Amino acid sequence: MSADVVLASEGGGCHLFSGCGFPAPGAEIFIFDPMFHIGPFEVTKPALVAAATAAIVIAFFWAAFSNAKLVPSRIQGLGEMGYLFVRDQIARPMIGKEGDRFVPYFMTLFFFIWMLNFMAFIPLIQLPVTSRVAFPALFAIVSWAIYMTLTFKRNGLVGGFRNLAVPSGLPGWVYILLTPIELLSNVIIRPFTLTIRLFANMFAGHMLIAVFSIGAWYLVSPSIIGMASATASFTMAIVMSAFELIIQFLQAYIFTMLVASYIGQALEEAH
Amino acid sequence: MDKDTRPEAGSGGSNPGVTITSLLLSGMLFYGGLGWLVDRWVGTERVFLPIGIVLGLVAALYLVYVRFGRDQ
Repeated sequence: MSADVVLASEGGGCHLFSGCGFPAPGAEIFIFDPMFHIGPFEVTKPALVAAATAAIVIAFFWAAFSNAKLVPSRIQGLGEMGYLFVRDQIARPMIGKEGDRFVPYFMTLFFFIWMLNFMAFIPLIQLPVTSRVAFPALFAIVSWAIYMTLTFKRNGLVGGFRNLAVPSGLPGWVYILLTPIELLSNVIIRPFTLTIRLFANMFAGHMLIAVFSIGAWYLVSPSIIGMASATASFTMAIVMSAFELIIQFLQAYIFTMLVASYIGQALEEAH
Repeated sequence: MDKDTRPEAGSGGSNPGVTITSLLLSGMLFYGGLGWLVDRWVGTERVFLPIGIVLGLVAALYLVYVRFGRDQ
């Protein structure tokens, strides 16, 4: 049984004026007991959903491009739209023409993250997988490894450090003060902000919807004020869900775009 | 490849907001960290740490000004 279901059943009998307090959802709605074991690994709901999401994304693009024709079928047309979006809105503006060779990575990032976020809306799943911090962290670490490698491959060891650490256009002595800041910002802070931006957005969004949904159920009671508040709370849950739909897309887009801009900066020739 | 087709090439991509947050954080972290080390070394408690954080913030703000505030 998933945590939401447990929570809903615990708070199920609890209504306004029935003597028990509001069963406010906390971080426990993101914590799941292992469902089964594969060897030494515990498989939890987020892991299982992530694997299923990967399979869905792979299946979609397989169907779209495995048998590509000059005159595209409907699903191929959809896949091409996705490809063109990532190439023309993310890779090229951030990196330039050279960005084309990174489009496969950006496609993977963008569509995988978007679909992981979107799992919040699939009935019975109802969990944005990226609200578990390990998932955004992994994407950030992989992206970090890619742009660090590219920096040093393109600029050499010294040039790579110049690219990462030396801000341009400063009077001489200030370099000593500001170089550590720039280095720390580019090497350490970047992966953290990438991770936390995605994680916190999905976590907070899911929490908001949970609060308003459970709130609506809690407020249902034989009184005018209760029913009116329940309606208002339910409306908020719907409004928040609509916002979430936009944010799910936006966060996937922002994550991919930032990774693209970091790669673009890594490929810049030293000034 | 024409470098000028990139928007704001050389300013850390097209996301000043993100870069600024990151710079301010690392400024406070680095100089705050130095202050903390000095505190440990001198044996004082929370004297150089806040000084470091403030100085780091000032330095980072200056860096932000140089990169985004000045006319190109």
